[in-house]
Amino acid sequence: MRICLAASAGGHLSQLLRLSHSWKDYEVFWITTTTVVAEKLCAFGRVYTVGESNRQHLIKVIKALLRCTKIIFTEKPDIVISTGAAVGCVTCFLGKILGAKIIWIDSITNVEQISLSGKMVRYIADLFLVQWPELAEKYHNVNYEGTVI
Amino acid sequence: MIFLTVGTQFPFDRLVRTVDEVCENGFREEIFAQIGDTSYKPRNFKSVASLSKNMFDEYMKDASSVISHAGMGVITMALDNKKPLLVIPRLKKYGEVVNNHQVAIARKFEKLGHILSAYNVEELPGKLQQLKTFVPKIRENQAQAVANRIARFLQSLTNEPVR
Repeated sequence: MRICLAASAGGHLSQLLRLSHSWKDYEVFWITTTTVVAEKLCAFGRVYTVGESNRQHLIKVIKALLRCTKIIFTEKPDIVISTGAAVGCVTCFLGKILGAKIIWIDSITNVEQISLSGKMVRYIADLFLVQWPELAEKYHNVNYEGTVI
Repeated sequence: MIFLTVGTQFPFDRLVRTVDEVCENGFREEIFAQIGDTSYKPRNFKSVASLSKNMFDEYMKDASSVISHAGMGVITMALDNKKPLLVIPRLKKYGEVVNNHQVAIARKFEKLGHILSAYNVEELPGKLQQLKTFVPKIRENQAQAVANRIARFLQSLTNEPVR
């Protein structure tokens, strides 16, 4: 079973790393945004970087999307686990196209509502976790197990 | 020493300037600041634009308390290091951030007793005084429980036939 771990560098990635206990015994590869973190991640598996992208820079988004597509269609993961943000969202949808199971952990920074990425991924996720109990009450098919920070 | 940090991505002059003014008006405590690439230079305490990861960790460890924006990275580090933390959330109306999520985070963590927060510059002097005696509530996370839930889900998949 091959797992794709997808997260933007920074807070999203550090939250995914805090869950290493769940995925460390599987074959994993990473999709993240910058090479700066590659050294830390390569201890666990292959690392792919697709660059930073946000809604303000369309060209960067397209580049990252193409890069993610190539990676996912080459690696064909059985599972995608992501904490966000945009890169995680894109990876989840691409993975789903190939039949992968999708696990989404919404970042702890989403206090009053789930993230924009999370709102989209919610429809395709097989396991969707939030880190505030109020959010689990607010949305269907959303579970709360606790916080990672 | 109070460690003031604005994070690595953007400067946060509103915070640096306000703390500088508070010092100007007689706040007597040593401050060291990491202020980003910014035009405003504080006159009442030492500052640098950026710090290496190692140096950042050192200052965090040595600090008696921390002042920062309400970024999750620095909140996490302060909690992990059990440091009293005072945040000012970055606000969208000043172009400091793309949305007001930092306000929501600050409110939540303040309510839970983990940090202090000033929601505008007027509140800052008073909160700085509070910071001297503030004892943050230790945060217990449930990373293990969350990881277990994911592990159980993964385990259930391996029992399914391979596609």
